[in-house]
Amino acid sequence: MLALPATLFTATFFLLPVLVLLSEGFKIDDAWSLQGYADFISKPLNQTVFFRTLKLGFLVAGVSSIIGYATAFSIFHLPPKHRGRIFGLVVLPLMISPVARTYAWIVILGRTGIVNDAIVGLGLSNTPIRLLFTETAVFLGLLQLFMPLMIIPLVSAMENLPSDAIAAARVLGANWLQVFLKVILPLTKEGLVIGGTLVFTGSLTAYITPAILGGAKVLMLETLLYQRVNVANDFVSAGIIATILITMSFGANFLFKRIATART
Amino acid sequence: MRKWISLLIIGLTLTFLIGPFFIIIGAGLSAGENLAFPPDGLSLNWYWAVFKVESFRESFALSLFLAVFGTLTALVLGVPAAYALSRYRIPFAETVKMIVAAPIIVPGIIVGLGLLRYLVIPLDFTVSLALFMAHTALVIPYAVRVVTASLENLRSDIEEAAILLGCTRLGAFVKVVLPNIRGGVLAAFILGFVTSFNQVPVSLFLSGPGVRTLPIDMLAYMEITYDPSVAALSALLAIMSVGIIFLAEKFLGFSRYV
Repeated sequence: MLALPATLFTATFFLLPVLVLLSEGFKIDDAWSLQGYADFISKPLNQTVFFRTLKLGFLVAGVSSIIGYATAFSIFHLPPKHRGRIFGLVVLPLMISPVARTYAWIVILGRTGIVNDAIVGLGLSNTPIRLLFTETAVFLGLLQLFMPLMIIPLVSAMENLPSDAIAAARVLGANWLQVFLKVILPLTKEGLVIGGTLVFTGSLTAYITPAILGGAKVLMLETLLYQRVNVANDFVSAGIIATILITMSFGANFLFKRIATART
Repeated sequence: MRKWISLLIIGLTLTFLIGPFFIIIGAGLSAGENLAFPPDGLSLNWYWAVFKVESFRESFALSLFLAVFGTLTALVLGVPAAYALSRYRIPFAETVKMIVAAPIIVPGIIVGLGLLRYLVIPLDFTVSLALFMAHTALVIPYAVRVVTASLENLRSDIEEAAILLGCTRLGAFVKVVLPNIRGGVLAAFILGFVTSFNQVPVSLFLSGPGVRTLPIDMLAYMEITYDPSVAALSALLAIMSVGIIFLAEKFLGFSRYV
């Protein structure tokens, strides 16, 4: 009874409109049809955007897992007194407006930005080169936006490491590499998987970063959806993109959960 | 040696994560007309200019309103749900949890478009009301999660004791439970406020002339103008968020709850 208001509210004002929108992808002129999907898939632009989104999702998740792991491992080795403070600095950006966080990259990568000033100043190029509205810009923006989501679960996974497990492996003759590969990595796998899921789904469904740093040149699924609706009133495509986004988000959640709980 | 490598890695990552804010603050301090870093001379002109932009003032007021009242509504709906989930064996508990958590997983842009197309247009909802609904639903998962965690750390026998001593269920909740979880409720409010205030995708389609949240207004502004005012505004927002979190941490121990 007590849980009813919150459930009904979310179902009515959040989930119901979403479900109706998803159904639009399966309709042509009010009749059920899969023609919309066939048309959608056959367009080269849509294919490019789909694979670009997927690629950036994997790339951001992969790179942030390597940098994030090294960072989390370093934070874990700090004296406990400093650990909390540094961890706080990692989490803090999450509380700041993503628009503000992404805008910084315009200042860094723009025509008169720091990077271009350095390139021209060092004589590497006579004119500023285009860094904004490239996949690299979107990649950097996403990496900065979502990196904390990788580090947080990794640090907490490392804090739950049984401290005697490492000592035991050392006593039994394992070298540091073996300790890392056979003890630390398997025991922190869950953190890696949780972080990977958050970063991957976050990147897939990001709007602000591709909108500001990618523009019309580097469309991702969300910016494509926005463009289809605003430019062409194309609700069939909108429904299809929405279905793809939701399927991929839930799919990643489900799949990664299976990996995390699988026995090694 | 290992220690130095560790410190180097942390230093590089923090530079990547936090460095851009200093660049934003610096770019906003420019005395010139163009967005640049290092800035062309120093002045606070652009920081003052932000307050003179009419649309920024209006959208700030709307964002503030949505963040405060949306989060309060989410708490009114979410606290009872959290109580039910942590104290009773309710039917379909897993389904309820899934529905209530959905706003975190479902991409916001889809929700905004859905609300616009099926609620605002056919049912004559005003855009502001739809925005309010969306921002409330968006915060419910955080409210339920944070408050549930607080409730689970609170022993349920103290409320049983209050009931044995003649309190009603509701009385026991108001007099015994609520004072004990007020830290968690406050933390949920702060987290919800920040989430709602910074939210973009949900509000993207639910914005029209005159009805825009601040982040959407900033996106629209930077499409037409390339001056340091958005940098100055971004810096002010970042400083505001850091200030809120700093105070919440100092007086509440915010990080214990979230």
